[in-house]
Amino acid sequence: MRAEVLKGHLDWLLLAALEAGPLHGYAVMEALRTGSGGRFDLPTGTVYPALHRLERAGLVRSRWSTEGGRRRRSYVLTPAGRRALAGERSSWQEFATTVSALLEGRPSPAPA
Amino acid sequence: MAILAELEDGLWTATIAHHARGLPPEEAARVAVAEFGDPRTVGTGFGPELAAATGRRVGLALLATGPLVGASWLLLAAGTWRWAGQEPPAALGLIVALVGLALVVAVPAAVLSVAVSGRLSRWLPTGPQVGATAAAVAACACVAGDLVLLGGLLAAAVLAGGVAWPAALLAAGASSTRLSLAGRAARRCLDARATLISP
Repeated sequence: MRAEVLKGHLDWLLLAALEAGPLHGYAVMEALRTGSGGRFDLPTGTVYPALHRLERAGLVRSRWSTEGGRRRRSYVLTPAGRRALAGERSSWQEFATTVSALLEGRPSPAPA
Repeated sequence: MAILAELEDGLWTATIAHHARGLPPEEAARVAVAEFGDPRTVGTGFGPELAAATGRRVGLALLATGPLVGASWLLLAAGTWRWAGQEPPAALGLIVALVGLALVVAVPAAVLSVAVSGRLSRWLPTGPQVGATAAAVAACACVAGDLVLLGGLLAAAVLAGGVAWPAALLAAGASSTRLSLAGRAARRCLDARATLISP
């Protein structure tokens, strides 16, 4: 799947990848790749700017460490990021349920 | 630079991961670079972040230094006229009005540049170029304000019977420094903005 398909959803997928704990940029990309069964194979270079954008928005926080003599930047969800992810998860499930119902020609469940 | 260090670590990590999966070192490095994406895509991706960071830095710097520059001019005015018991020249009103106009533009623009490039960016429906543009506007307004102040100082020194020189040197130094830095900052912001607009 190409990166353009994920436009608008990438931020949420990155937040979900970070939900389990801190990861560095390449590990985030690997988590997306393995978590999607290889379907989301993004260019690594597109993941880093998105992580920076999320940090600017206060949804993730980064910290530097030294690994094998190299500086490494890891990202972790902030409380605001966790809340935003929970909200998006709920909205997405409602959206997906409604679209699935329409595509399959069955009535959509009434909003909760 | 932090971004380069981060990208370098990403490339190294990817190379090591591919090598651990059985690829020879050269092939592992080639695959790591290929999956990173082309440099233009990476650069384009970072463009909005760099523009936002530039706008934010400039906005914060202007907001932080503005009161210091203003205080140095107030000190000059007090030392020249109030403490000396003299009447300020009538032209001072025009200078105050022009500087006030510059402030009316600069302060909201600097605040906007900081607001849209920080946590509020989640809720403010603005493009990434807004922060850089606002910071450039704020910096240009500061340049205009400093030019007015320095011009006024020159006129007062030559035409209006002199000024309190220690305070004048302090105020002129503060404004000249900010004028120079703000001019360069405006250029940087406009350059950052241009990279977002150009294809």
